[in-house]
Amino acid sequence: MEKVWIAFAAALAVGLPAIATAWAQSRIGAAGAGTLAEKPELSGAIIILVAIPETMVILGFVVAAMILLML
Amino acid sequence: MIIRMAKVEIVGPKQDLLSTLDLLHNRGIFQPDPHLLERVDLAPEDRLQALVLDEEGLRERSFFQHLYERVTALLELLPETTNGISPLQPLPVMDLLAELVNQHLAKAREQTRLLADCRQEAEELQRDMVFWQALAPLLSELPNNSNLELFGITIRDLTQLQALEELLQERTLGRCHVSSTTTTDGTLVGLIATDREIAANLRKALADERVPELPLPDDLADLPLPERIAALQNKVATQAAGCRQVEAELLELARRWRPIYRRAEAWLEERLTLYRATATAYTTQLCFIIEGWMAEAEVDQLLTDLSRAFAGRVVLEQQVILEEDLDQVPVMLRNPGYFAPFEIFSRLLPLPKYSSYDPTPLIGLFFPVMFGMILGDIGYGVILLIIALLLARCCTPHRLASDVGKVLGAASLYTILFGFLYGELFGNLGETWLGLHPLWFNRGKDILPMAAFAITVGVVHILLGITLGAVADLRRHQPRKALLKLAMLTTVLLLVLALVGWFYPQSWLNTGPLLIGVGILMPVLIAAEGLLAPLELLKTMGNIISYIRIMAIGFSSVLLAVVANRLGGMTGDVMLGILVAGILHAFNLLLGVFAPTVHTLRLHYVEFFSKFLDLGGRRFEPWHKRNP
Repeated sequence: MEKVWIAFAAALAVGLPAIATAWAQSRIGAAGAGTLAEKPELSGAIIILVAIPETMVILGFVVAAMILLML
Repeated sequence: MIIRMAKVEIVGPKQDLLSTLDLLHNRGIFQPDPHLLERVDLAPEDRLQALVLDEEGLRERSFFQHLYERVTALLELLPETTNGISPLQPLPVMDLLAELVNQHLAKAREQTRLLADCRQEAEELQRDMVFWQALAPLLSELPNNSNLELFGITIRDLTQLQALEELLQERTLGRCHVSSTTTTDGTLVGLIATDREIAANLRKALADERVPELPLPDDLADLPLPERIAALQNKVATQAAGCRQVEAELLELARRWRPIYRRAEAWLEERLTLYRATATAYTTQLCFIIEGWMAEAEVDQLLTDLSRAFAGRVVLEQQVILEEDLDQVPVMLRNPGYFAPFEIFSRLLPLPKYSSYDPTPLIGLFFPVMFGMILGDIGYGVILLIIALLLARCCTPHRLASDVGKVLGAASLYTILFGFLYGELFGNLGETWLGLHPLWFNRGKDILPMAAFAITVGVVHILLGITLGAVADLRRHQPRKALLKLAMLTTVLLLVLALVGWFYPQSWLNTGPLLIGVGILMPVLIAAEGLLAPLELLKTMGNIISYIRIMAIGFSSVLLAVVANRLGGMTGDVMLGILVAGILHAFNLLLGVFAPTVHTLRLHYVEFFSKFLDLGGRRFEPWHKRNP
């Protein structure tokens, strides 16, 4: 039973930030696509902006990995 | 790196202004900045004023402007030739050219109009030819009856043809014959034959139904239909010959005069640019003054050039760059060999201010290392190195591809190096097949050491950023800001050491004194910067934690590689296993290039550069000749 809770905790740790990241990236991506239509030279900057919310899921992934491998 | 700039003032007699501007244009190293003159302090009788051209100057400028417009209009009409540009100096023959250009422009306009009419007519005749040639076989089906009236029509589709046939039979009481065929361009055309006495009714019916009758030139309309086609062919040939003759005349005009007018256009353009440039010069009663910017290394050469050209009448003086000038100094970036390709990343940012740093060398130093830390695999590194060599060698004419190749080459070398340190060759394949062991630690298992390593990289990177920010503040003569940055740096360092002492207790690392140090520094920071100081500290700690992505992305890459190997092994067939593992490794490699690039850049742009980089500089855009 304990293993189930550990797996559930790890899934939550990575799943919730993944949803948050996806939402943020969808908003940034949509705005970025609009920007690119007018200023294609900003493509590099847009890629970086889209990558910014990934911090959440990356930290979630680290926590999930630590839960799975260290508990 | 940011090239050192010099603020220079050029002074000379008013009559030498245009020649001086011409010399500066030719050298292409000087950017005027009239705003600097607002601060020049002169005696009241020498009051500076914007240069106003005298009557002769204005007349000359107007003459050149008018001539330039006519020459440009003529060149637009003349066809391109391979003759290039004439070496003729236009100035001595400018008056003659001004007369000739009117004649040539009128001739070119007339010939262009003739050519356009001729081409339009030829096109229409050609179109008619296509229709009538398609109708020719239908004519042979008709009886040889002089009482027949023939109509050629274009039809939208077969449905319209059927409806039209029914309508015409009804209107003419069955006294007409409709046949149809398709032209070479796919248009459906029809031939209607009817008695002459009811031809008018039929024509009206066609008009009512909006069915276009095939047009024919008036002089051909009266000919019998079989002769029309032959006459039409003759007319098309005559028209084509006429077009060719007008074209040849226009080409001959272009061949003789285009090189000369192109030379004149270039000269006039330069001359008018010089006149416009006079707006950047100010004058006293006798002198002109121009202030601006140029690379410091070029000042001596320009000084020599001016002395040689004007025998000392025009002088150049390098001035001290004042603190209030710093935001106005234009920025020119130039990086030596290894760092130059990394400009593809720094170009994504706005230009830094003159008193700040060029981010390119810092990206050049840290980007490949962090890329290697994240990807860290001998196999992937070797593949990337091969791709990089191909890009750098084969794409030399394409600067971007060549630069990408060079950057990828540096990154792949660090990938191989860290691959040895992590003991990875296509994930765990090196360990399984070749007995490869990590020289440092195993990323797949040692999660915490790898996380500690990533955070340590973050601490070093961020503290370096804060240090660079303090140095930049000192260069801008803002010691208070520099001191605050150093206080922040010390606080972050103490806090990090305290955290290290908390998680990994060491006999030499006592957290108590470290926290007391933080407790002393925080009120100082709050007193100096207000409540933003604790927020800035939190942000900095957040920036450091963000570097954990070095471990996280690397870890996910290792797991994907291990999964690829396991899936390949599970197939039970060598070839199929290689294929499955190869596809997954290729996918992992693709991710392994994209993710480290984006995240390493993000660590630089968001975390590192925010600590010291002051963006928003003006690009150095010197005067230069468009037609050297």
